[in-house]
Amino acid sequence: MGRRRHRVEGAARALPEAIAALSRSLPAGPSPEIFRRAKFDRPEAAPVLWQLLLRVLSPLGIANDTLTDLAPGKPCPLRKPCPRTLVSTPQSPQLGRPRSAQLEAQARVVKSALDSQGYPRSALVQFPEGSSQRSRELLLALSWLLARGPFLEQLLAQTRVQLGDQLPQCEYEALAIPGPLGPHVETESPMDLRLVEWLMGKLRFRWRRLISSQQEQCTLLSKIHLYTRGCHSQKNLDHLSVAETEMLRDPESSQQLLQALESENVRLGAALEWRQCELVFWQWMDTVLDACLSESPAVTSQPTVLPMVSEHGCGELELVKQELQALQEELREVAEPRRAAWEAQVRGLGQGPEWSTTRRALQEAVRQELVALQGSWEPSSDPTQPQRPHRLVRRKDESPGPQGLQAAEMIRTLSTQEAGLKKALHQLQSQCQQELARLAGALPDLIWIMVPGH
Amino acid sequence: MLGAKADYRLPTDCARRIVAEVQGALDSCAERQRQLERSLRVSRRLLQVWEPARTLAPEPETKEEAPTPACTPSAQDLRELELLTQALEKAVRVRKGPSKAGQRDRTPSLTSASNAAASGATTPTHSQPSSQAGSRASGARSTKGVQRATIPAKDHPKGRPLSRGDRTHMGTEFQATRSGPGLLDQQMAPSAVPRPTEPFTLKEKGTLLQLPATFRKAASQNSRLWAQLSAVQASDSTDATRAAKTQFLQKLQLAVSLLARKNRGFVALNLAGWEGATVAWQWYLSQPTSATEVSLTSLQSGCSSRRPSAAEVEAHAQSLRKACALLRLRMQKALSAAPTDWMQEYRCLLMLEGLQAIVGQCLHRIQALQTAVTGGPPGPCPVEKPTQASSPCGGKMDSSWSPELLLYSSTEELQTLATLKLRVAMLDQQIHLEKVLMAELLPLINTQEPGGPPWLALCRAAYSLLCEGGEHFLTVLQDDPAD
Repeated sequence: MGRRRHRVEGAARALPEAIAALSRSLPAGPSPEIFRRAKFDRPEAAPVLWQLLLRVLSPLGIANDTLTDLAPGKPCPLRKPCPRTLVSTPQSPQLGRPRSAQLEAQARVVKSALDSQGYPRSALVQFPEGSSQRSRELLLALSWLLARGPFLEQLLAQTRVQLGDQLPQCEYEALAIPGPLGPHVETESPMDLRLVEWLMGKLRFRWRRLISSQQEQCTLLSKIHLYTRGCHSQKNLDHLSVAETEMLRDPESSQQLLQALESENVRLGAALEWRQCELVFWQWMDTVLDACLSESPAVTSQPTVLPMVSEHGCGELELVKQELQALQEELREVAEPRRAAWEAQVRGLGQGPEWSTTRRALQEAVRQELVALQGSWEPSSDPTQPQRPHRLVRRKDESPGPQGLQAAEMIRTLSTQEAGLKKALHQLQSQCQQELARLAGALPDLIWIMVPGH
Repeated sequence: MLGAKADYRLPTDCARRIVAEVQGALDSCAERQRQLERSLRVSRRLLQVWEPARTLAPEPETKEEAPTPACTPSAQDLRELELLTQALEKAVRVRKGPSKAGQRDRTPSLTSASNAAASGATTPTHSQPSSQAGSRASGARSTKGVQRATIPAKDHPKGRPLSRGDRTHMGTEFQATRSGPGLLDQQMAPSAVPRPTEPFTLKEKGTLLQLPATFRKAASQNSRLWAQLSAVQASDSTDATRAAKTQFLQKLQLAVSLLARKNRGFVALNLAGWEGATVAWQWYLSQPTSATEVSLTSLQSGCSSRRPSAAEVEAHAQSLRKACALLRLRMQKALSAAPTDWMQEYRCLLMLEGLQAIVGQCLHRIQALQTAVTGGPPGPCPVEKPTQASSPCGGKMDSSWSPELLLYSSTEELQTLATLKLRVAMLDQQIHLEKVLMAELLPLINTQEPGGPPWLALCRAAYSLLCEGGEHFLTVLQDDPAD
């Protein structure tokens, strides 16, 4: 009897411990008590959970207090976490802003972020903004994020302490969000096209400057690596990185680095603990969900207004669709006559026993090639763009072995990529040229003098 | 004659879109530049002479300077000084207790490595506690400085002016004790370093540096924990946990779709659809299957009325765009190859037909996505791209967390690599902007009345922007038929 009670007590302790581990591993984790209150939809749990969701759904660098530009009509800063988004959010804290308005703004941000992730439950969105409501819904949203994938690990990876030196990270920043226009652009009157030319020139200059600064940084990095060779405790790393050397030079930065490392270690330990004992949490969440479902059957279908699956996304799809349709047409035009010709040729060729084996072999070979081709645009299988940054290590000897990625190999891949992109750009440009020639050719009494050597 | 002042004004909404795109590109470039400048500042500072932080003692002179001649301490003073020094050293040693073991075996190497060109009277034992006082990783200069300081103290019969020595020495200890409380029990006490008699530069003495023990411990613990976390997550939790999570997700989804379908009058569940959805949701648990396999499975099994998120739509569009480009390249390659015999011809034909089939698949995928996005009748499932689905903020996750190394062998190689990376990003951006400008400017040419000065200005600018990357302009001459 005593043993059973002990077991029951142990089981009762397991849930708070699991939740405590979870909150230790989150950046602004609330106490287990908050979770319990949220199950019963208590209002006091709601603000904490709003803050937590805001914190975990923001991309790197946008913390609670800098999210000030949240007025309606402005684009949601959480949609695309590229550096541009960071820049377009003003950094000045608005102290005079009424607190409720700010909370409302935060709530809006969280909701749109969840929606852009594809959160199915609309209960959060449908009810009026208010930070003291829907704590149970918030708990469900948090659990949904945790259940879908390695959410915790991704959060930790975002804020991971980087001890080594890395190359510039270049992600594809294609889709533009109409951000706030710069001060030099008039929005009322029609704009001169020369402004666009000027802006493009400015962009070109900035890239040139960026590349030359980067080259300087590479020289400095290389020197630092050379001068500190043999200093690292790990033999395979051999030399210190900038962060480590800076730590040795400046005591303050060493304090900061050490503290960052230690707090990350704490969070990692908590995450490991969470992974061990999360089952009890999911069983508990099941009961929460049951409670929620039984209480509110009025949750209807998805909300009508969808902020961010904009016509922009659909426009993109439509563009791609048109491109693909054009390609399909071209392929059809080429393939059909060749097929007909080949069939005719084959009929006259006669069929032998090795005929079918050869055919099958060829079919297999082509199939393999096509599968490889298909795999090459799936981003997960792209080896040249590691999402995880590599630590730069200077090493003289060509020691063979799977120690790391060799720079020469990466240069090769990047060169092919560059060549492909250049080709694509030239193709676009010549397409434009043809189009413009067609349009301008309508007027025969004009002479267009092209650039010499073009 | 063309008006010299011909210009063209863009309509407002068009201008707004173009400027937004270009401004976005400019901003991201500026942000990268800012980050780079920060790193450059740090790196440049590291390569200069390192200034010691918080020097407290009066500046000890270099060897060349003459000491104050008036000071000639007696032997008794020296003895007392010695005792005082030892007492202070002991105090520091006690405070720095645990570090002794680590420091002691380090200092001999430092002592030997330091280019103490002073007298051969090396005093390892003497300098050891002193170096503990100024102990820190770049102990080279502290050892050297202290060494020089202690030599006079010992060798005073040699006539070396003592005042400098003992002043330096006192200064050392004084600094050490004063900075003791500021050490926060850390074993790094760079502030306690006495003023080096030679400036420290990375170039000359960089190889003498050593990372402090606490840091090493923390760093190794960090990498160990990351490895553990990735191992746990790769093998993943028990089946029970996995099942519990899936069940939770399904229930959450079910609640929505049940009601949604009820509202539309459809029958609730499509069990096969759940299997498809489960396959998609379990992506991170099992071995990564190819995305197309998963998507095709989902297509076949049908799915719930889950709307794809904006991030997913973007991701799909992006990858399909890539696909289109690659397929086109492959087609051109196949067409340019001149087949010599029937086998090659057959292979070429198969390739073209295979490409056609893939394009068809892609279009099918787009169709499914579009119907899902617009919330059309429950048709094929929106293809769940597993690796894209659950990245909260674009941060992708990988199976192993240990940082991989990128090995380079020379400065030039590193520069080439970095430049290439930036150029690839730049080209990406250029292609995107080109498409944007094409979409905006070409229609305008059609709508504008041809022949007039604004139209000409527009054509000229469009040509320059679209065909020459804005770098060159063409000239337009009007051929006057009267001449």
